[in-house]
Amino acid sequence: MDATDATANQRLPLIAVANRLLQRLRGVNRLGFALIFLAPSLVIFSAFVFYPLMKAVYLGFYETDNFGNQGDFVAVDQYRTVLSSEAFRHSLWVTFLFALYTVPPGILLGLALALLANQKLPGISIFRIMFSSTVATSVAVASLMWLTLLNPSVGLLNYFLVEAGQPRIDWLNDLDWALPAVSATTVWLNLGLAFIVILAGLQTIPEELYESARVEGASDWSVFWHVTLPLLSPTLFFVSVVGTILAFQSFGQIHILTRGGPLDATTVIVYSIWQDAFQRFDYGVASVQAVALFLLVLGLTVIQLRFVERRVFYQ
Amino acid sequence: MSRVVFDHVTKRFGDVVAVDDLSLEVHDKEFLVVLGPSGCGKSTALRLVAGLEEPAEGNIIIGDRIVNNVEAKNRNVAMVFQNYALFPHMSVYDNMAFGLRMRRIPRRERDQKVLDAARMLGLQDLLRRRPGELSGGQRQRVALGRAIVRNPSVFLMDEPLSNLDAKLRVQTRRELVKLHRQLETTVIFVTHDQVEAMTMGARIAIIHEGALQQVGDPQEVYRHPVNLFVASFIGSPAMNFFHCELRLHDGQPIAYSGGARFPLTEGQARSLAALRGQQVIIGVRPEHILPDWEAEEGSEGGLNVVVDTVESMGHEQHVTFSAGDTTIVARLDAARSLRDGERLRLMIDQAHVHFFDPDSGQRVE
Repeated sequence: MDATDATANQRLPLIAVANRLLQRLRGVNRLGFALIFLAPSLVIFSAFVFYPLMKAVYLGFYETDNFGNQGDFVAVDQYRTVLSSEAFRHSLWVTFLFALYTVPPGILLGLALALLANQKLPGISIFRIMFSSTVATSVAVASLMWLTLLNPSVGLLNYFLVEAGQPRIDWLNDLDWALPAVSATTVWLNLGLAFIVILAGLQTIPEELYESARVEGASDWSVFWHVTLPLLSPTLFFVSVVGTILAFQSFGQIHILTRGGPLDATTVIVYSIWQDAFQRFDYGVASVQAVALFLLVLGLTVIQLRFVERRVFYQ
Repeated sequence: MSRVVFDHVTKRFGDVVAVDDLSLEVHDKEFLVVLGPSGCGKSTALRLVAGLEEPAEGNIIIGDRIVNNVEAKNRNVAMVFQNYALFPHMSVYDNMAFGLRMRRIPRRERDQKVLDAARMLGLQDLLRRRPGELSGGQRQRVALGRAIVRNPSVFLMDEPLSNLDAKLRVQTRRELVKLHRQLETTVIFVTHDQVEAMTMGARIAIIHEGALQQVGDPQEVYRHPVNLFVASFIGSPAMNFFHCELRLHDGQPIAYSGGARFPLTEGQARSLAALRGQQVIIGVRPEHILPDWEAEEGSEGGLNVVVDTVESMGHEQHVTFSAGDTTIVARLDAARSLRDGERLRLMIDQAHVHFFDPDSGQRVE
């Protein structure tokens, strides 16, 4: 150690000690050093994600008795029975339909609104705020609004039907209409997010590309089809995956509007999990479904991440 | 027939007048350079021809047709953008074929045209690549290729060389001039770089604050700048200016600037006779300033100066002198080296001096 180091260390002994300690930590165990920084998030994730997840997998291996207590160990039997049951297949089908009714219309509407709001017009920001406002609307508020709109006797929708000379529809209690009605609410609810993401995607497309396409002879439709849409496709894919995950996790609007009815017509997986866990107190069956849902969403996320890598190629 | 005419064209953005009563004719098959500092409205003028902007007043004429209300896609012009504006999701081939596809040119003809243009530009091995996999120079050529394949009546180029490195820029400059000779098409080339303008343009149109200042071939705008702006903008290093007063000295008209005297030639004295006793600005190009050892015996006048900085160019040197509170730049032969702080006398080649009215900025002949 040379003289300057020595005097610096004398003046600041604490820092010198800390430095030496840090060096030793780095030398001995880089992982340990990293863990110090990871600890806060590790604790939180462990408590609220990893532990419950493991617990769900674990609970799936046990039956649940009539009082909600953990029963006999049945290994994978419970997984087999639940996943092959008619009820699970039904809720999977309803979930699929729900995603189908919410994701494509949500993207199309979001795209249409984003295209409108991407114009350079005076006061356009007012429309941008309006179109994105559903992001700041809670599920409960949205559901109550739509409960009123869908009300068979005083709802606005039936008012228009009657005006048009059509019979009233009891939207939320009709076997054919309940799922579309809940889906409409969900589309509205998720529209703000889709709008914001698609608008952001549109704004990353350089103006010059549109201009050069126009000079090259492209009509408005061709510009949209050959320039806007391909350059927006990574964004649209992102919105579709996130939208699907959101659809798979929807609960609040179904709980408030239909409670899974009529006749389980709106019982998506999440609602079925909730019913099994907190109505019937059959935690085993609920856990099996939760694990299945987790794997489904995980698969979607992996696909999304793969695609994000491809997206970098464009830039 | 693909001349382009600006007929009293004005374009405003809010309160800003981008193009101010512009009248200019670009001849058929001409290579015209529009030159001006950034923000002078030259790009707007180009976009008016492309159909990307609409004029507020006046007419844009392509060929014999007023195109004010003709959409960009129906004008049969091609544009090369500063950032090339290639479609990042399309291959080089698809980029070049885009305009042909939009015009529903049959596939075989399309392939042929793209291949021809690619061969002309040395792009034939890159047709399957995407723009992101190309160098700046290659992208620039793809942008040119996309313009060429359509055989447009007018080429519009908006600073297409400014994103290239210095060496490539010089090379591309020549290639563009050759290409123009081959294609025999009208080209409007916008730039802020006067070297580009001087070297490429058959004619140069100089624009300042939205208004046309002067149109002419490079020699003309260099030798006879019509006003102070053109005089100061064209030429590097820039022209020197002296604020002078015209007076008689021993019956000889002479321009005074501080302590310096500029004797006038007979012709100059005659044309400036009306301005006697008034202010005038004298402009002198750096190559028309001589150190006294190069001047003719017995030449009059001259400026006593001190050497400020010397920039050696190899074959010549650009020397900045100070004389009182004015600085003077001269291009001198590199043979005699000058030291900072050295004192000497500069003579002015009187025959090549320019006179300007200090109020209007216009040239006085």
